[in-house]
Amino acid sequence: MNLKNVEIIAKKELKSLADEKTIILAIVLQLFIAMFSSFLLIGLASMYNPDSISSYSNVKYPVAYTGEPSEVLTYLRDSSDFVVYEMDLSTAVEALKERKLSAVLWMPDTAPDYEYPVKITLYTIGNDIQSSLVNVKLKQILLKYEDKLREIRSDRLNGEIVDIKIPASDPSGDFYEFVYGLLIPLLLFMPAIISGALIIDMITEEYQESTLETLLSTPIGFSEVVWGKTAACFILVPVQAAAWLTLLMVNGIAVAGFIPILLHISVASLVIILAGAIIALKYHERTNAQFVFSAAIVAVILIFLAFPMNTANIIVRLSVGSIGSEHWLILGIILAIAAALAYIVTGYSEKMRAKFI
Amino acid sequence: MQNTLSQIKTISKWEIRRFTGTMSRDLLPIAFALFILLILASGFAQQNGIHLQDNIYTVGIDDESAFPVISTDNRFTVYKVNPGVTPESTGLDLVILNGFLFASDSDKGQAALNSFEKDYSGYIESIYNREEDLYAAYPLWIDEEYVKSEIDFTATQSGQRAVAPPDPYTKPVPDSEPALVETPSAQIDKPVEELRSELISDEGTNANIERYANVLSSSKTGSDFKTPSQISPPLPFDSIILVFIFIFPLYFTSQFYMMSIMNERIERSGEPLLSTPVKPYAIILGKGLPYFVMMLAVAAVLTVFIGAPLMVLLPILPVILFFLSSALLIGMTARSFRELSFISIFFSTVASSYLFFPSIFANIHIVSLISPLTLVIYQIQGDGFTAYDYLYSTSLFFLTSAVMFFLAARNFNEERLFNYHRFIPRLTEFIGSVISEKRTNLSLFAISICCVPFVFMVQMMLLVLLFNFPMPYSVVMLLVSAAFVEELAKSVGIYTLFSKRPGYMTWKNILAGSFFVAAGFLTGEKLLLFATLSEISDSVFGTVMFASLQVLWLPFLLHLAGVLTTSSVLKFGGRRMYIPALILATIVHSLYNLYFILGWSG
Repeated sequence: MNLKNVEIIAKKELKSLADEKTIILAIVLQLFIAMFSSFLLIGLASMYNPDSISSYSNVKYPVAYTGEPSEVLTYLRDSSDFVVYEMDLSTAVEALKERKLSAVLWMPDTAPDYEYPVKITLYTIGNDIQSSLVNVKLKQILLKYEDKLREIRSDRLNGEIVDIKIPASDPSGDFYEFVYGLLIPLLLFMPAIISGALIIDMITEEYQESTLETLLSTPIGFSEVVWGKTAACFILVPVQAAAWLTLLMVNGIAVAGFIPILLHISVASLVIILAGAIIALKYHERTNAQFVFSAAIVAVILIFLAFPMNTANIIVRLSVGSIGSEHWLILGIILAIAAALAYIVTGYSEKMRAKFI
Repeated sequence: MQNTLSQIKTISKWEIRRFTGTMSRDLLPIAFALFILLILASGFAQQNGIHLQDNIYTVGIDDESAFPVISTDNRFTVYKVNPGVTPESTGLDLVILNGFLFASDSDKGQAALNSFEKDYSGYIESIYNREEDLYAAYPLWIDEEYVKSEIDFTATQSGQRAVAPPDPYTKPVPDSEPALVETPSAQIDKPVEELRSELISDEGTNANIERYANVLSSSKTGSDFKTPSQISPPLPFDSIILVFIFIFPLYFTSQFYMMSIMNERIERSGEPLLSTPVKPYAIILGKGLPYFVMMLAVAAVLTVFIGAPLMVLLPILPVILFFLSSALLIGMTARSFRELSFISIFFSTVASSYLFFPSIFANIHIVSLISPLTLVIYQIQGDGFTAYDYLYSTSLFFLTSAVMFFLAARNFNEERLFNYHRFIPRLTEFIGSVISEKRTNLSLFAISICCVPFVFMVQMMLLVLLFNFPMPYSVVMLLVSAAFVEELAKSVGIYTLFSKRPGYMTWKNILAGSFFVAAGFLTGEKLLLFATLSEISDSVFGTVMFASLQVLWLPFLLHLAGVLTTSSVLKFGGRRMYIPALILATIVHSLYNLYFILGWSG
């Protein structure tokens, strides 16, 4: 194989990508995904963990307490989150419907040390974001009461519990796992998968537009054509991945293991691209090839993720800095898979050429 | 009419034959194999678990007693440490010494602490769940009752409280006569072992993931009674899975339509068809029909599969049309497969997020109604939707699909199909085809009207994306971006004319053209706004987006000023000045809006 020829093809493909400005679409797309994630971070995470927003809302919510008196009433009165009114149930529920109250509690006449549990009925407004906040705040009160009741009934319990004293935590931890455990692998695998789809387009195009004969009449071999296209698709991945990691770091998200991450995603993307190339060589026709590729990639990624120490997991662990040197071994294994696929691609494309001419 | 219908039918049959011809031969066995592989893969993944966040945290323990707490959590790597160390000295995220937990002082340490906390409460629960006297372990149960109350979009959107600040001394008095609410029962009418088995079956599973599964099986699992720790705010995630289930196959099938059109261009197989007296729209419809039926059938099968009422197909219908019409346009405009891939990936991401984000807020916020999929969720929940809801959340989809189909039909000819100009010039060619030589101004007027649904769609998207930002920023961001989108849309006709017939752009014609663009835009806005969007337009965000609609002559002047700015800059600077022209027009537009909003609120 002549590397010069491979380079010529790769340059040609990259140039036409740049000409079509499709690469700009890819970048805009990634920005869009990043925008999702900021949306997810700000919006969903605060709903996922309303504690994080409730800490800065100092609204006092009006709630009604109905039924029998109990310690819950005291807790509610002592809480800075609520204004409590003792009311009768029907009036309270009507006021709730009119949004003059945020919640209504009904307390039965059950003794704290009774054989059966205490069942509180809680009325809140459905379909409402404010109800979520009220629920979370009420939950604290109810948990406190549960502890109290459990203590009263403690002589009826006999399980052994390992006691661990846990310090107060900061609820921002959910963001951490979201960013490192989900967002980073997603952002890095996206270019790899796009490149896989891209190689299919580049190869099937030659068949479908009947430009292959012209190309093969030049001194360039078919395997060189395929490798040139592969190289063009491949080179995009580390560039995009590095851009992402840099952007994340500029935004204050420290990423450990920058270089090893790039190596892992590059090798993984090479496997994906070569698989795409084999599929494209087999089917010649874009619809079929893309169909097979996308179905196969979903299955393969699922299987892949089910193994410990998969590339995505390694990238996550590298980015948080929780990994020893064992990941080099995995890199070697994936590299071996890529080499095997590379061998198949070269052989297969030469065979295709023989058939073609 | 009869003739056209039979033509459509013939072309459909032909398309099906072509489709099965290319697909079935060598693909059927592999498709079958892939299907089996997918099932096996998901089974395997389910059994082995997804190992994405394995071993991201490290924890040191000085004796084995704490081991059961975290042994099932893959996120932790456990090390044995000597008594008396600190997280700092070991470099570990967490250290448990003598029953006390210490976390390292970093984001990661805090995150590990959070995860540990959840594991620990899960561990305690697993012991409580096996207590002989369950009612001693769980002495308090909550029965949650939901009361229906119409949400006030304006109140919650603008960051005000929906309820006036409570007065601690006066009880709230309802305005209407209270309906009698029966005293709730004090007992739990469920056998204790049933409660226990529910608690145990919830163990170890992530409550959030469990919810996805429940949406799928559509069975109302879980008890009506909850322990206090089970109380959770209505999470928005439930709907995500539904959206994916319905959207993914639609996206897939519309790809086939896109490819069919693209192949026709590349292999020129459609050429003979174009020379026959068959009308372009008959070809488009005929070729699209099989895919339309396929998509509808897939959606129907899914609906039946998850046990939902078939009514959910009603809101899916406009989504299918939207996907098909965009697939058609993309198939007609892309120059190469690469471009096709990128545009279609881009389109589907944007379109699915439009459908996807709002419906996350189903049950939580009225903004969710702008996505038809919210109606699907409502229908599956058994809440149903009204005709007004339907009109409200689907009209933009129907209108934009109609415009796209029309544009495609107008351009479905050899000249357009078999040239390979760049994307933007191609789009202007497409739009140029609907500008009449004689009635140029009327065409501009019509184009402006047709742009309005697209503008609203983009603005809706912006609304959803931006409404989570803190209040003053979100309004300013929305204000500027909405102005930009409007100016872009208004410039479409003018820009097209500019590149197609540069000679036409005399000052007199620019004035007249701008007048008609502004008038068309205003008419479109008015028509659509009052038909469907009154709810959102009443909110603060609505005021921002549609500030221009309060008095008629003012918004008209605004639109005129915007489009005149763009076209004048174009006239002076040529086409290269297009982007600066748009920015200038956006500034003018934003200043106007700012003035009015500030003028009204302060």
